[in-house]
Amino acid sequence: MNSEQRSAPAGGAALSRRGFLGAGLGMGTALILAACGSSATAGSFDMSGTPTPGGRLRVGLTGGGATDTLDAHLSVNTTDIARVVNLYDTLLELDHEYGLRPGLATKAEVTPDGRVWTVHLRDDVVFHDGRPMTGRDVKATFLRITDPDDPKNGAVDLQPLREIEVVGEHLVRFHLDTPVSYFDRLLAAYTSGIVPVDYDPQRPVGTGPFRYKSFTASQQSTFARNEHYWHDDQPYLDELTILNFNDDDALINALLSNQVDAIGQIPPALVEVLESDPRIDILNSETGSWTPFTMRVDQAPFDDNRVREAFRLAVDREQMVRQVYSGHGRVGNDMYAPFDSAYSKNLPQRTQDLDKARRLLAEAGHPDGITVELVTSNIQAGAVEAAQVFAQQAKGAGITVDIRRVEPTTFFGDDYLKWTFAQDFYYTRDFLPQAMTCSLPKSAFNETHMDNPELTRLVKQATATVDEGPRTELIRRAQKILYDEGGYIIWGFANQIDAYQRYVGGLVPDRTGLALSGFRFRQVWMREAQ
Amino acid sequence: MARFIAKRLAISVVILFLVSVLVFIATLLLPGDPAQAILGQQATPERLAALREQLNLNDPVVQRYLEWLGGIFTGDFGTSTATGASVGAYLGPKIVNSLVLMLIAAVVSIPVGILIGSYSAIRRGKAADNATTYATLVVAALPDFVIGIVLIAVLSTNVFDVLPAVTMNPPGTHVWDFPPQLVMPILTLVIVVLPYIVRMMRATMVEALDGGFVEMARLKGVPERQVITRHAMPHALGPVAQVIAFQLAWLAGGIVVVEYLFRYPGIGAALVDAVHNRDIQVVQTIALLIAAVYIVVNLLADVVGIVTNPKLRTEPAK
Repeated sequence: MNSEQRSAPAGGAALSRRGFLGAGLGMGTALILAACGSSATAGSFDMSGTPTPGGRLRVGLTGGGATDTLDAHLSVNTTDIARVVNLYDTLLELDHEYGLRPGLATKAEVTPDGRVWTVHLRDDVVFHDGRPMTGRDVKATFLRITDPDDPKNGAVDLQPLREIEVVGEHLVRFHLDTPVSYFDRLLAAYTSGIVPVDYDPQRPVGTGPFRYKSFTASQQSTFARNEHYWHDDQPYLDELTILNFNDDDALINALLSNQVDAIGQIPPALVEVLESDPRIDILNSETGSWTPFTMRVDQAPFDDNRVREAFRLAVDREQMVRQVYSGHGRVGNDMYAPFDSAYSKNLPQRTQDLDKARRLLAEAGHPDGITVELVTSNIQAGAVEAAQVFAQQAKGAGITVDIRRVEPTTFFGDDYLKWTFAQDFYYTRDFLPQAMTCSLPKSAFNETHMDNPELTRLVKQATATVDEGPRTELIRRAQKILYDEGGYIIWGFANQIDAYQRYVGGLVPDRTGLALSGFRFRQVWMREAQ
Repeated sequence: MARFIAKRLAISVVILFLVSVLVFIATLLLPGDPAQAILGQQATPERLAALREQLNLNDPVVQRYLEWLGGIFTGDFGTSTATGASVGAYLGPKIVNSLVLMLIAAVVSIPVGILIGSYSAIRRGKAADNATTYATLVVAALPDFVIGIVLIAVLSTNVFDVLPAVTMNPPGTHVWDFPPQLVMPILTLVIVVLPYIVRMMRATMVEALDGGFVEMARLKGVPERQVITRHAMPHALGPVAQVIAFQLAWLAGGIVVVEYLFRYPGIGAALVDAVHNRDIQVVQTIALLIAAVYIVVNLLADVVGIVTNPKLRTEPAK
């Protein structure tokens, strides 16, 4: 299962800051600023017309640290992903609508049995050091990712990959053990960036829009425009600098004091305050990112579907989105992959029904209510808040929630995937890769311990079905099972909210859940004040 | 006095050793190991096994501790599991950065604090004294991050926008190459420690000014300026040295919050990162360093106390 759209925990930074400063402080500066009003005048920028070439973009991001890397296939945190996306290209790409489009490859064709994928490479692509990219580099890349002795991020997803055949300079064939109808999507994952045969992460060479200039872990990295880039006119920027921040306050302060041009992932509660600043624009992107509650279906009390149903009915989803995401999100219906074309839109939207929840609990042998422990952690913005809001809402159904808050390293430690009742988070994905990742008995991240033979059969069959019509039907049936009996409470999908100076152009909403248009800085440009 | 200092130094070494053991145990008690901390949600069994092998995490803990302790005596602080670099090379520049911050903060706040405190004592009961008393009381009650946030809001964002809000020096340059960036963190530290120095200086100065020797000097016709600088001040400085030492020691430990707020690349930020990454070698080295600063600074304070107080210069008879 790939690591596409998975990211690292929110980072020690955020947690530690909360540890020191206490939650809620994040709003301190901004509130003071709001009170002070804005005396600064915004420069005037004409953002219409064609992009301006040149300029140096400074981007601030939280979530990095001493473990930062430039390795194409080992990205763990947000800043890693931002670097990787700009240094390395993938064979196919995800557009901002989460659809597939050509990248280093012009097209990928699959045989009707779903086992052989033929990929046609562009013939005009060169690496940062000037050497042309060929099929041999593609093969070396995927061998590196799936190295059995040192598997990289994407290795789990690429398990069905048996052999990579270099047919010609610009033609590669992927042979799979089992049919994978969505294999082209794996080729678009940022964890599948193409590197040269002799790739050395100490000398990070790729084909991306920017080439490596300097890098200091936990501090900053600078990249220069790739003059040989295969894409017409892009990138526009001369230089890109990605700066690590360990704290939301420092991040926002840097934007307000004009030390950075754009920042990724700001707390939703600050949107209104930042919006009132005439110099700042907000980028608000709907995404398929979700932070579910995870109930283990093989353990009491959640081994009884009536209890799971009662918990799902205890949630006021509208209120969750309002309080946890400050309204910047959409309610969920206990199914993932909302952007998948096969997503079931006709199943009734679950809403809060406390009476029914109490009745179900009584039927399940808990007439006097039930007490459960919910393990939460600052694994993603809003996770801890969601736990707290849920604890409040569940009281009405006779559910007493004891919140046990741990730090992310503990959360992702030995007991990760073993907690009876906890949370997790995922970025945008399509249904099948997501189900492979978390809903089958052999899934790498099966936190709910789902082991439903019918679901497994449907997912496997859909995975092997290349034809879209029948595949959609199979996926809908699988989603119905998750909706009825799954271990997830998927109460909402969070928006990704970024902020940038008005003179920055080219940033558009992006569904992936990655900040700042999916970190595609090659399309970003900057305007001088008039 | 030499014997006293030697004895204190010997005790310090023992304390440092105990600190290293305690920190080592404490980091072991944290759930998870470096491999898990680094990989987070990506921690599949295969990747964990590969990373543990790379990081030598399969060695027994006692062996890892002894190797680290042995390395210290040769100036080798081990290898950081998070970065793969030597701890010395990784922390060296950060230590320098933090020391720069601390030293400038100390150099500014000590004389300023002594001056304000003395002035306040001389003008006892007058408006200036009252204002100082109230101001120091209020500021002393504010946590450091509140001071920092208010400073940022006023000086580097919408209101005045005269100073950079965070530290950002390009790789290959030093933080002090950009002096404006140092102002805010230093100002925060100064404001944090100043009230204590001022209040202590005022208190001891008041006591000194009330002392018989000051009255005697005045009666003998010594000019007031000289009374204050030659007679009262030296007497007041001994106890103040203790407070200053305490504040400097606080700076060493409390710099974490300030560095965080201003994105300052010092040991504070490194410590938080290292705890998060379970980077034991780095955590230990920083903990030892902070402990060493505590010990040295307190030792210096005791020496100043002895020098300024003749009664303490001789050791009690055994």
